[in-house]
Amino acid sequence: MKRIKIIILLALLMFNPVTSCDNTLDINTDPLAASSADPNAVLPFVFVQYSARKVSELGTRICDVSQYISNTFNSPNRGTVSSFLTGNTWNMFYVEVLGNLSLVKTDAAAAGVTSNNVNAIATILMGHVFYEATSIWEDVPFAEALDGITFPNPAFDDQQTVLNGIVAMYDEAIALIDAIPAEGVFAITPQNDMFYGADMASWRMLANSLKLRTLMMLKSGGANVDAQINAALGQPLMSSNDQAAVLNYSGQPGAQNAMLTIITRFFGPDNESQDVFGPGDPIDELLNGSGDPRWDLWVARNDQPAPGNDLFPDPTTSVLSNNIIRGSLPDMLMMPAEIDLYKAQLALEGFASAGNAETNYRNGVRNAITWWGQDIPGILATVSTGDIDAYVNGLGAPTANDIYNQQYLAAFLQPVLAWNLYRINKVPDLQAPPNSGIGAILRRFTYPPDEVAANPNAPTNKPTETPMWFEN
Amino acid sequence: MKTKFSGMLTLLLALVVQLTFAQEKTITGTVSDDSGLPLPGATVLVKGTTTGTSSDFDGKFTIRANQGAVVVFSFVGYTTLEVPVGPSNTMNVTLLEDAESLEEVVVTALGIKRQARSLGYGTDIVKGEDLVQSRESNIVNSLQGKVTGVQITNSSGNVGGSSKIIVRGVSSLSGRNTPLWIVDGVMINDSQRAGGEANRISGNRDFANGASVVNPDDVESINVLKGAAATALYGSRAAAGVIMVTTKRGKANANGTATVNINSSVRFDGLFRIPDYQQEYAQGVQGVWNPGSVNAWGPRIVGQTVPNMPVTNQPGTLRAIKDNGINDFFKTGRTYINNFSISDANEKMDYRLSLTSLNQEGILPGSKLNRYTANFNAGVRHSDKLESRFGVQYIKSKTFGVGATGSNDPNIIGLSFFRPTLDQNLFRPWIDASGNQVNHIVDDAGVLSNNPLWIRHENSNNRNDDRVIANASITYKPFEGFSLTGRMGVDLDDDKRFIENSKGTINRIDGDFDSDDLRRQEITADIIASYNTNLTEDITLNVLGGFQYNSRVFERQRIEGRSLLIPELFSPANAAQTIPLRDFSESRLVGLYSSAEFGYKNWLNLTVTARNDWSSTLPKNNNSYFYPSASLAFVFTDAFEIDSEWLSYGKLRTSWAQVGNDAAPYQLNFTYIPVTTADGQYSLDLNFPFNGALAYTANPTIPAENLVPEEQISYEVGMDLKLFKGRVGLDISYFKSENKNQILDVAIPESTGFAEQVLNVGQVNQEGFEIALDAIPLKIGDFTWNTAVNFSKVESKVVSLTEGLERFQIASAFSSVQVVAVPGKPFQLFGIDFLRDEASGRPIIDPDNGFRQGGETKEFGSVLPDWTGGWVNSFTYKNISLTATVDARWGGVMKSSTVENLQTQGLVTETLPGREGTFIDTEGVLVDPDTGAVTDNNIPIRNAQDFWAGLDDDSVATPWIYDATFVKLREVSISYSFPAKHLKNTFIKGLTLGVEGRNLALLYSKVPHIDPEASLFGSGADGFGIERANVPSTRSVGFNVRLTF
Repeated sequence: MKRIKIIILLALLMFNPVTSCDNTLDINTDPLAASSADPNAVLPFVFVQYSARKVSELGTRICDVSQYISNTFNSPNRGTVSSFLTGNTWNMFYVEVLGNLSLVKTDAAAAGVTSNNVNAIATILMGHVFYEATSIWEDVPFAEALDGITFPNPAFDDQQTVLNGIVAMYDEAIALIDAIPAEGVFAITPQNDMFYGADMASWRMLANSLKLRTLMMLKSGGANVDAQINAALGQPLMSSNDQAAVLNYSGQPGAQNAMLTIITRFFGPDNESQDVFGPGDPIDELLNGSGDPRWDLWVARNDQPAPGNDLFPDPTTSVLSNNIIRGSLPDMLMMPAEIDLYKAQLALEGFASAGNAETNYRNGVRNAITWWGQDIPGILATVSTGDIDAYVNGLGAPTANDIYNQQYLAAFLQPVLAWNLYRINKVPDLQAPPNSGIGAILRRFTYPPDEVAANPNAPTNKPTETPMWFEN
Repeated sequence: MKTKFSGMLTLLLALVVQLTFAQEKTITGTVSDDSGLPLPGATVLVKGTTTGTSSDFDGKFTIRANQGAVVVFSFVGYTTLEVPVGPSNTMNVTLLEDAESLEEVVVTALGIKRQARSLGYGTDIVKGEDLVQSRESNIVNSLQGKVTGVQITNSSGNVGGSSKIIVRGVSSLSGRNTPLWIVDGVMINDSQRAGGEANRISGNRDFANGASVVNPDDVESINVLKGAAATALYGSRAAAGVIMVTTKRGKANANGTATVNINSSVRFDGLFRIPDYQQEYAQGVQGVWNPGSVNAWGPRIVGQTVPNMPVTNQPGTLRAIKDNGINDFFKTGRTYINNFSISDANEKMDYRLSLTSLNQEGILPGSKLNRYTANFNAGVRHSDKLESRFGVQYIKSKTFGVGATGSNDPNIIGLSFFRPTLDQNLFRPWIDASGNQVNHIVDDAGVLSNNPLWIRHENSNNRNDDRVIANASITYKPFEGFSLTGRMGVDLDDDKRFIENSKGTINRIDGDFDSDDLRRQEITADIIASYNTNLTEDITLNVLGGFQYNSRVFERQRIEGRSLLIPELFSPANAAQTIPLRDFSESRLVGLYSSAEFGYKNWLNLTVTARNDWSSTLPKNNNSYFYPSASLAFVFTDAFEIDSEWLSYGKLRTSWAQVGNDAAPYQLNFTYIPVTTADGQYSLDLNFPFNGALAYTANPTIPAENLVPEEQISYEVGMDLKLFKGRVGLDISYFKSENKNQILDVAIPESTGFAEQVLNVGQVNQEGFEIALDAIPLKIGDFTWNTAVNFSKVESKVVSLTEGLERFQIASAFSSVQVVAVPGKPFQLFGIDFLRDEASGRPIIDPDNGFRQGGETKEFGSVLPDWTGGWVNSFTYKNISLTATVDARWGGVMKSSTVENLQTQGLVTETLPGREGTFIDTEGVLVDPDTGAVTDNNIPIRNAQDFWAGLDDDSVATPWIYDATFVKLREVSISYSFPAKHLKNTFIKGLTLGVEGRNLALLYSKVPHIDPEASLFGSGADGFGIERANVPSTRSVGFNVRLTF
């Protein structure tokens, strides 16, 4: 009997802890994470993560595709795209940027018109990222993207569909901004809106400017978007450098442009001493001896020849100047010169609403030079207004080719835009790298192996020299 | 819990036997083994009568006998002991192991000691003395070649580095493939987190795995529990096997006084393998001299004078330096291991105190490990019913100068650093009086590279680890056969890492530091009740029930500081940029378990176990999981009374088990994560606050909605045979496990906006067999030759993933090389191949330039071996013994980036042909674009440099993927024990001298230039088959002295 009592007591003792299991085990909440996040906390991540990956990945690796830089590390310019380059870029676009923005947009939409400002910013940035995605891969998930519950394997839309959808997103954003109520609006902390400090008029202008950029690509592909272009030309567009959409880098550690930190991390103090980034042949050909002030602003040792196609600079060649490759170099998403030069092109093509081709052309060149010689934050070397005027006023009436060349120059250090402009205009006349495996300028990335492995709807990769739809 | 009694009592009893009277009385006592552990189930019989009993779970017995009678104690595997009954009513005896016995006793799950014959599953035991014959600083390495079914990977020659152990192949796709370590019944953590970048690629510091602190000098035995049936009582965390360590306990010496042992070793380490460096061509490219070039594609070395010699930058004569000066850079490593222990025991208590120092200087300049271990354990028998025991280990490890591996870090000094005419002696001194780096490498354009001795001596790669492992238990035995034990154990690890680049380091010119503090705490508490009885004369029953609580906490606080104002001042306030990081996780597990063992006539044993766990990491409605096991052991030689000359013992065994496993913490809820960095390529990250803004990002992993526990079902059958009067033993096992419902972060299309989703998917099966053969082929007089062979063939095959998922990435490395899981195959090495002609498989040459072309990604084969084996031979003659261990890993593939660098940089002999004049890639073919006709390549390229340097264009991995097979002479030791007669007039009771060697020879390998065991990934990652710039492994020779007082 005594034994039985002991056993019963022990059994009770052992089972007692189990009865309090629920509380003991109720610890599975991460104390260092939040269940929800204010857009003021998510938007900075989007701005900075986009720029961090764009500059360090695309900026340091594909700017020799459009050849404004002579050579880069691990470049796809010979025709083979590494899985890291394509995978990292895809991940940044779809997960880090679009994923967060779609959550912000969903929450803002649920909050109603008082969050139209947040909704519009998210929509505009999403439109831009989709634009860059289709620029790089052509057919990309769009309509079914970012909704894993309904579409676990998003279908890939053709480029024209994607571009039309992007235009619709910009229209949606403009409508959202126009419907922002006078009171009760969600307060975006200015420092968290890294483009415009919560100024929604500027965002509206950016949306319309990005819309024009997208329409120009649709037009290049053969779509009839004349009416939409005219409509866009009738709305406020970017026209001065203080309206530019740029992410400013302070230049302090942790906030330095990766075009410099790749040098300081792996080579030495600066580009001119380490000979990492040199001017591409087209830069040399367009600027050397042209009198364009950008030649001296951009290129050091510029009495020496350019390094050459697919070659790094050395002490016997010119090199991109420390004035450009510096920690405080802003990351440019859109500049007014691009709009001026679109308008010049459209005017030359007969779009009356675009105004005068020559005026727009000169505005574009002036804005571009003024940016590099006066307006750019952290400027080291300057150019006087007189010198700029002297050069710009000396320009003749532009041909289409002149405008295309200036569009190319105005896209300097904007890796995707410069690549797009070449593929649209075929100007300047780029030569394939000497050891190119495809014998042509790279036209596209291959799809990331991770997306291909996980998504049965991923299309078969086309050869990387295959032009995209917009090159029609 | 368990008490050790002195065998001396037995002798005293024998002396007083003549004073006794023939009067029946009750005698109680304990039967223990020579290590002090109780022996349950020992037979206690009054000689010449049928009066007898068995010892209980704690070795205790009670018997009635007349004074003057003789009590006979017997237990399988031990020598029988007869003890006369004297006036005392207590009889505590110690049975000694019978070396020639056909039986053995093993410690099984929860510390239960059982006869090997009663086990229905395979188990391997390594005795402590086998771990110290040739001492290793990481105990895991000491198991190499000695245990069936385990694969051990020692990543590199780093001091204080990690070693990975896998039992019966991999079972998990989520990295839970390392076994659970138990020390004296307490779970300890064997986790490993590399220093530096978390991806283990960029500047990986392979700091030690958690179990490396287990001190071999304190180990009585290690039991490797392999099948799920063996480990089921340990719960879900033991799904990948259990390494159960039993530490030594106090013993009295033969005189009944304290035993003092001193064991000292000194060991010298050198490079295990030196690449076959070419000595004919100097640094440079395309035949042009460049003293700072990492390439050796320069001019032929003919004694010419050059204007700028390496480092000095002065004119000089080129001459090749033997082995590219590698031996001038690497030092002779030295390791001193000293152990002192004192122990004692009597019928009331036992204790053992052990102090160990390990002082190691690595072959890499500036690298060293100082580890000090204090181990104290003691037990007290308070009364016949109450016993208590406790043990505590404190381990202080300080590691300095751990070598960096991988890439993108100036601290990496791989085998491709050494160049034909670069005299390593020129690097001294590396610092001037003002603290500036001097004697740089300078190229012909005047660009500086780091002096490697500056890297090694001025930059810190250190770890300072404090570890406390403690346990305490109390056992209450209210009546015969029943005991109740409460036990609590804690493993506390305070792990501080400090990695620093001093100002003036090229590529980190402004200096930076990474101060990373990690803290792990694991607490385990058990309450175990057991009862054993004889149901009938033939049937025995042992039942056990228990409760367990387990808690694991991980905390991390890290500060990175970049751009220092004042050199060597590593305060966040001295850094222009600081990046803080904080991490925390906690998980808890509550378990109830029970087992019942039925024995029939000592030749049939059935054991059934059941356990239910409740986990904090699973959804509340699914957090309970039950798993049963059953095992059967049938000693057919006893059952059928077989007793032949050739077959003395035979057992068949079979087991079945189902176990579960929980998830990692915090996988159930969607969260936003505050971040301090925005990731860029090449780790060119930005930091928050950025322009004053803080940042949050959505967790890119979709949490699980209806997570259920992982499920493992395993089967095992086996046979043990003892042949030819025990001179030959054979142990064969076949096993199969199905691992279902794996909890994985499954990659989903990133176009959904998320990268991964936590799901129960996938299945991995393990199937294989093990053979262990031991024999005494020769025994002539004083000479004995023992030999033991073990062979394990395990195939871990991924059966399925999830619908639509072609492959799952296990680990990633540079140049698109990955380890992936693909349905229908073992873990695969995955990377980019050349474009190939389908029919011949030969690379298709680009007719425009004569080069091979990059093709598509493909699977290159399993990263796991087809089989592993070991062969241990011991020869003893009188007091001299010689032991040698050979081990083999056969099959599997690996990719070596070190060989890639050696070849593409023109540093090794195979790059010599074709340097001067054109070169044709004769392995390649040309394919006519119009007709498709395939012909041998005849397109010349400029020279060998262009061929070799062009091989890895387009991130092609193929040229450096090798069959990873190797056979190594792992260990040789010779020892001489002084005969007792020579010591009888001294205070010394035992003296043994030994010579030991480890990693002595690579007997077979297809991997050129490097140790084929090298691995980029430490023990904490599931990366196999990839190597990049590892610190070269070492060959060691040492001497050992063991003294007993």
